[in-house]
Amino acid sequence: MSSAAPSAPARRRLRLATALPGLVVVAAALIGLFASPSAARSDTASQALRMDATAPITYSAPSSPQQIAAGDVLFQQNCASCHGADASGGVGPNLRGLGAATIDFWVSTGRMPLANAAVQAVRKPPRFNRQQTLDIVAYVNSLQPPAPGRVGIPTVDTAGANLAEGQSLFVLNCAACHTITGSGDALANNFSAPTLHKATATQVAEAIRTGPGNMPWFGPNELTDQQVADIVAYVKGPIQHPDNAGGVGLGGIGPVAEGFVGLLVGVGGIMLIAYWQGERA
Amino acid sequence: MSDDVQRNEQPDAAHPTGGVPVATMTDPHMQPYARHPARAEAVTGLLLLVGVLGFAAYGAVYFVNGSTQWQAVSLGIGFIAFGIGLTAWGKYLLPQGPFVEERHPLAASQAERDALGAAIVDRGRLVFRRRGFLGGLLGLGGAVMGVVLAFPAIRSLGPLPKKTFDHTHWRRGVRLVDIDGNPVHYTDLETGGVLTVFPEGHVGDAMDQTLLIRPGGPLPGQTQAAPIVTAPGRETWGPQGYLAFSKVCTHAGCPVGLYQKATSQLLCPCHQSLFDVGAGKPAVPVFGPAPRPLPQLPLMVDADGFLAAQSDYHEPVGPGFWERS
Amino acid sequence: MSAATATPATREGATQRRSPTRLSTGLDGTLRWLDERLGLAKGGRTFLDKIFPDHWSFLLGEIALYSFIVLVATGVFLTLYFDPSSKEVVYHGAYAPLRGIRMSAAYASTVDLSFAVRSGLVIRQMHHWAADVFLGAIAVHMCRIFFTGAFRRPRELNWMVGVTLLTLGIVNGFLGYSLPDDLISGTGIRIAYSIILSIPLVGSYLATLTFGGQFPGNGSIIPRMFIAHVLIIPAIIAALIGAHLGLLVRQKHTQFAGKGRTEHNVVGIPAYPNFALKTQGFMFVITGVLWAMGGLAQINPIWQFGPYEAYKISYAVQPDWYMGWLDGALRIMPSWEFVGFGHTIPFEIFLPAVLFPGLTFTLFYAWPFIERRITGDRAEHNLLDRPRDRPRRTAIGAGALAFYFMLFCASSTDVLANFFDVSLNLVLWSFRVLVVVVPVVVALLTYRICKDMAGLSGVGKRKRPVVVRRSATGAYMTEPAAPRPGDGHEEPEPEPVPTFVQLDEEEPEPPGVRRVARRV
Repeated sequence: MSSAAPSAPARRRLRLATALPGLVVVAAALIGLFASPSAARSDTASQALRMDATAPITYSAPSSPQQIAAGDVLFQQNCASCHGADASGGVGPNLRGLGAATIDFWVSTGRMPLANAAVQAVRKPPRFNRQQTLDIVAYVNSLQPPAPGRVGIPTVDTAGANLAEGQSLFVLNCAACHTITGSGDALANNFSAPTLHKATATQVAEAIRTGPGNMPWFGPNELTDQQVADIVAYVKGPIQHPDNAGGVGLGGIGPVAEGFVGLLVGVGGIMLIAYWQGERA
Repeated sequence: MSDDVQRNEQPDAAHPTGGVPVATMTDPHMQPYARHPARAEAVTGLLLLVGVLGFAAYGAVYFVNGSTQWQAVSLGIGFIAFGIGLTAWGKYLLPQGPFVEERHPLAASQAERDALGAAIVDRGRLVFRRRGFLGGLLGLGGAVMGVVLAFPAIRSLGPLPKKTFDHTHWRRGVRLVDIDGNPVHYTDLETGGVLTVFPEGHVGDAMDQTLLIRPGGPLPGQTQAAPIVTAPGRETWGPQGYLAFSKVCTHAGCPVGLYQKATSQLLCPCHQSLFDVGAGKPAVPVFGPAPRPLPQLPLMVDADGFLAAQSDYHEPVGPGFWERS
Repeated sequence: MSAATATPATREGATQRRSPTRLSTGLDGTLRWLDERLGLAKGGRTFLDKIFPDHWSFLLGEIALYSFIVLVATGVFLTLYFDPSSKEVVYHGAYAPLRGIRMSAAYASTVDLSFAVRSGLVIRQMHHWAADVFLGAIAVHMCRIFFTGAFRRPRELNWMVGVTLLTLGIVNGFLGYSLPDDLISGTGIRIAYSIILSIPLVGSYLATLTFGGQFPGNGSIIPRMFIAHVLIIPAIIAALIGAHLGLLVRQKHTQFAGKGRTEHNVVGIPAYPNFALKTQGFMFVITGVLWAMGGLAQINPIWQFGPYEAYKISYAVQPDWYMGWLDGALRIMPSWEFVGFGHTIPFEIFLPAVLFPGLTFTLFYAWPFIERRITGDRAEHNLLDRPRDRPRRTAIGAGALAFYFMLFCASSTDVLANFFDVSLNLVLWSFRVLVVVVPVVVALLTYRICKDMAGLSGVGKRKRPVVVRRSATGAYMTEPAAPRPGDGHEEPEPEPVPTFVQLDEEEPEPPGVRRVARRV
């Protein structure tokens, strides 16, 4: 560039050049204002106030004679070989007096019928539909009155649930086995705590109130019905629909997956760029 | 052209450039790396353009409070495209070289080193000539200063341990309470139940935390349950089928929150130490790195039926430390 | 040299043109101003001509460098929002499921930074990804230095500076992800307390002094971690990076053997403009990749974990990847505790968490001297080894990598047992065996492979393809394909950087322009 003053056309060009970046940004902002997708990120599940009107959990047990009769047939065909014709046990444990919730939990999660009794029963697609499941529950429940503390099938009303309380209870009582994100993990001696991501509200309440397998049993003197409803709301909400505002959730198991992604995608990806950029000899 | 320097720096007819290396664009070293420079230029320009658009797009996304993911895509594409464009510019459009420069020995000659060493030694002798006691005072000053400066650096940080590791807040008659401060009645837990408890008045305390489990409950039709004896001398420690153990793992201090009811074991989630609990089994570690059983809290049922401690733990809780005997 | 400017002599018919080699008044004035005060003219030109060898594996350190710059930039942003206080507050912020819960101000400010600050979540996650990538880049860079023997004389000092950077980076990363005081990282702090406690003689003192009492202390640990993480350690790291790069510039970079490359020269691209442009582009790429990861791949979603309470715990708790080797060591260590003479030495913690890393870093520091002792090689080396040419060193390095990798995998025993549906007990016992067996097998295999590779010519080099042609009469003939740039086949002999470049052929040299050779 010479030391002479720029000519008039050069002045205009200079001004345009310096104004250009600003123009680009403004243009993009205007385009973005009209064309870009959703505005503010939507808030997570909003929190209802605690309402005291209705009972948070109602317990019921199917008991009509038709159900019991249908359940009898199903039981003899599918369960009696392990649990005995009268459900008093055999290879499998005694089912009498355990209450409707226990039977419903094991059957509706597909854990029962169980092919191999030597390993822990895990959730699988249930063999029976809801009607048949209730029939079996009705039949077994009719054999002997439920023992004290053995509850019926819970119907949970989470309308009045307190998510903060649910979070607190979940972390204190459940996270140690099921992990803080509900992914489940391995226990000792070949057992495992299952993932919570497929459980229905009823199944969560049933598990809490009956303590299946290695899971502890939380009775009403330890966790009130409202507290169980709070936990159910927390599981159905933030556990099963986590707020993954940060992007892909990477499985919810924390630094193990993050380390893989950081090293393979992050360091590895950048190393590929470096390989392109440099010499190869 | 080599790097030979002619001290004649004035240009003349024979040396129009004064004998200094000047490259022309016909030199193969000055050729761009790309075999089709026009194509490379176009691609580079396109990348830079995408970069600019990406930057601008981020501005727009920010302005409308777009989601984290849109922010990432816009500015990410901007930076990456812009960066690849710049790199391509530097790699494909500039002289490909290769160029060379000479290394020069780092070390000077032995004579230089000797001179340096002599300077240090001789001048040092000047300082300390017949003044040895001054040198001693210098050293003494440095030593004492080093010691006393450690006091505010270290001691002021916090309290000394003294005996704080040896005891918790559990005492005779102190009730077990849950996280909400409610005392625990002996009918509260079902068989196979678990609850985190604290001494009344110290809810949430890190070292007082205790895990209450009920491996054995009343038989159907009964209200009372048999006590559980984990070890000789602990016959009264487990009333009504309850057992209480320190929740602080004896390995590295994590809360042992995992109670496997069916196998009657406690599992620490951090490093998978496994403790057997039940009759004849006072939380003995059977697997994993924990060295010692979890201390057991002696329980009793007070007059109103609430669970309380008979005394403090009989040993320090938590991981090991030097003074622990 | 005087600064007198000779007047251009008039030539017949010569039009008054601007000389392309006359400096503009602006640049000339600036350079004079700086040169009069800093004396940078001579050194500046030397630096611009500085040669950087351009092999791709020499860029790994740059990944670490630019990740650090990203860390500082994003870190400054985070400090404007983070509250380093353990004071208890009740949350009433943007994330609904935590409203009403008591938590530390540190945790609350991190949740709000993630949800209530525009671009806060991207920058927070970018910061965390950058830390993972920073340490990953240091690891691969360190491997490159090790396997090519770049730590040999005169670069032992730089190797030790680098090991120090690795150590400080690991510590700072741990402190950084523990600052939000969430359930998972708080558990890590609890374990750190127990590790300090396990040190014989002084452990209980160090623990109570650092934390302000029996765990969890008087709350001062969060502000102390904060100041260490944002000021003390980054200042040391920045200074050491300066030393690291300064040594590199002073000693000049190493290079692989090749055409025109000797122990006494450096062949590559000049600092200005080639290297400057490429490295600047690389920095933008790294920034872009980290920013994209920061918004597309979720990392450390602390709002899902809840605040730390000493009596709460989650399962599947692992530290960040660069601490994994220590956590794995803690898990597989047998429960050997020494109790006697009225004292306890908890070796089940002290050994894997204190003695073992101490031994590791001591060995890292000492390696150049160990190798020198074993091989007896005390010469200066500026040419790099190909790893296959040093089978013993490569095998030892591969075995060491396998060892630390086994420990790293051992940190996920529960996750692996759950994922592969095998017994937790089996996984643990397997790792106790694998940690010993796998490094030995890897080392032996590597030695074997190196020996085999050294015997073959052209191994690892890109082969020149052969083009098959067919003539009109049907005969086949082959010819080598045109050489591609970067193959090293058709490279010209290296030349010194030209001081001046004549861009336009038609313009003759105007007389009287002063050209100055560089004083060698």
